[in-house]
Amino acid sequence: MDLSAKIIYKPPNTETNPTLEDPTPDYMNLLGMIFSMCGLMLKLKWCAWIAVYCSFISFANSRSSEDTKQMMSSFMLSISAVVMSYLQNPQPMSPPW
Amino acid sequence: MRHLVFLLPALLLLLALPDTRGRYNDDFDDGEDIAEFDDNDFAEFEDVSEDPAVDVEKEPPPRAAPSSTPIEDEEDEATVENEDGQDEFEDADAQDQDMYSKYDNEEFEGHEKTNPSFKDTLIYREVPAHLQNSWESYYMEILMVTGLLAYIMNYIIGKNKNSRLAQAWFNSHRELLESNFALVGDDGTSKEATSTGKLNQENEHIYNLWCSGRVCCEGMLIQLKFLKRQDLLNVLARMMRPVCDQVQVKVTLNDEDMDTFVFAVGSRKAMARLQKEMQDLSEFCGDKPKSGAKYGIPESLSILSEMGEVTDGVMDSKMVHYLTSHADKIESIHFSDQFSGPKVMQEEGQPLKLPETKKTLLFTFNVPGMGNTSPKDMDSLLPLMNMVIYSIDKLKKLRLNREGKQKADRNRARVEENFLKQTHAQRQEAAQTRREEKKRAEKERIMNEEDPDRQRRLEEAAQRREQKKLEKKQMKMKQIKVKAMS
Repeated sequence: MDLSAKIIYKPPNTETNPTLEDPTPDYMNLLGMIFSMCGLMLKLKWCAWIAVYCSFISFANSRSSEDTKQMMSSFMLSISAVVMSYLQNPQPMSPPW
Repeated sequence: MRHLVFLLPALLLLLALPDTRGRYNDDFDDGEDIAEFDDNDFAEFEDVSEDPAVDVEKEPPPRAAPSSTPIEDEEDEATVENEDGQDEFEDADAQDQDMYSKYDNEEFEGHEKTNPSFKDTLIYREVPAHLQNSWESYYMEILMVTGLLAYIMNYIIGKNKNSRLAQAWFNSHRELLESNFALVGDDGTSKEATSTGKLNQENEHIYNLWCSGRVCCEGMLIQLKFLKRQDLLNVLARMMRPVCDQVQVKVTLNDEDMDTFVFAVGSRKAMARLQKEMQDLSEFCGDKPKSGAKYGIPESLSILSEMGEVTDGVMDSKMVHYLTSHADKIESIHFSDQFSGPKVMQEEGQPLKLPETKKTLLFTFNVPGMGNTSPKDMDSLLPLMNMVIYSIDKLKKLRLNREGKQKADRNRARVEENFLKQTHAQRQEAAQTRREEKKRAEKERIMNEEDPDRQRRLEEAAQRREQKKLEKKQMKMKQIKVKAMS
């Protein structure tokens, strides 16, 4: 194979097209925050638990270039929502049926 | 003084006497006097005129136990037995029954002789669940935590599997890539082009590899797009709708490395989708995808081409051989000199400029296994990489004849014209706004001019320019009219 010393430096991460990016982590992050706030304000335990799940899903789908601070803050918010709900009302969660 | 001394103790004694009497409440003494000064709880209930026996009956039942001693003594008129508690209570029970039967009906309303219903009206309150000493009441919470643990376990397992698959792919392809490219693996962080020799992890399921330093191409970006095995939701969704891992290879070429044509071959579904989605395929390959059987490739594959000559040129024997033997692994192969990615939907309508194009070869391969891939399956993709290298070299040599070239040029001109027509209105608007801006700026300049003479001169100059423009326009209109008439 003819190899010409034509090395061109080019960063492969020129992902400027927003349609190609997966929106899942951003949506899940937002959902997680909304559910956390609902759980905290309305004292709904199931909201807080769903928020924890949303932040986990967001973390699993996140890109490695994404800021970990936002992920951690969403995570902490959901955990605090669960803890506060149980401190205010230690009764166990009742199923919807 | 001596009289006072004697008087004081006497007075004190007189005052103390009633107190002492009251403190040592002698219930054993009968008689009216005692009852009058008696300040115990039952003093008001005791009727002095009645029999001592009757007095006993009128005491309320709860007081039966503490007052049983005085009652007893009143009846017995004998010794008091305080210390023997049992006797006291036994007698108290006996007393209770006697008392109930001797109750005056007027005093107690709604009272029944037999009343076991006391026990029935007791309400047992449920102890709140969180005060019970059992974990069973928290079963929903336990379920939630179990779900979270399952998610975390799946995340770890999925991440490791994807990582192993990527490494297996790289190990099997490393030799081929290193023999063809001078630069294998560049994450874009360092200023100089240095070969890292390893994959760049973008996600837990996407791995990139940039190769460069070869004739005939600028560079090659390989993307390993695995399934989201680290996300449990995705795993569950895949159980309903199976999808497979994909390897996408994007080769960017220099201007001299490829002639002007657009061509695509792949599975029928993929071709139909690409024709709608891709900007260049929708503009240059307007016809429906043709079946591959005409060119000796399996029927499951179809072809989109700008012109027949291109198809004939690309589909040589070696290419046909590659496509036939690996038809199940090929999702799509797209060669284009007008590649600009998928159609971009803009909110303000059409963009004002044509999108930037680049000469590109885009290969999408499906990894065999339909999701249940093992690292060994990665070896089967090696021949496809050979096909990629072969295509790069081939397209360098593939040149259209004169007719083909003319047709291609005509097509490109047509597309550009269409685009300009569509954006004509918008461009006009943009030009109008620019002209107005200019006028406004000029007027402002005239207004800001301090010298009145100069101001006047500038105004006159502007007026003359306007006049000239109008005359020009009128001339043009006249010319058009004359032309139209003739």
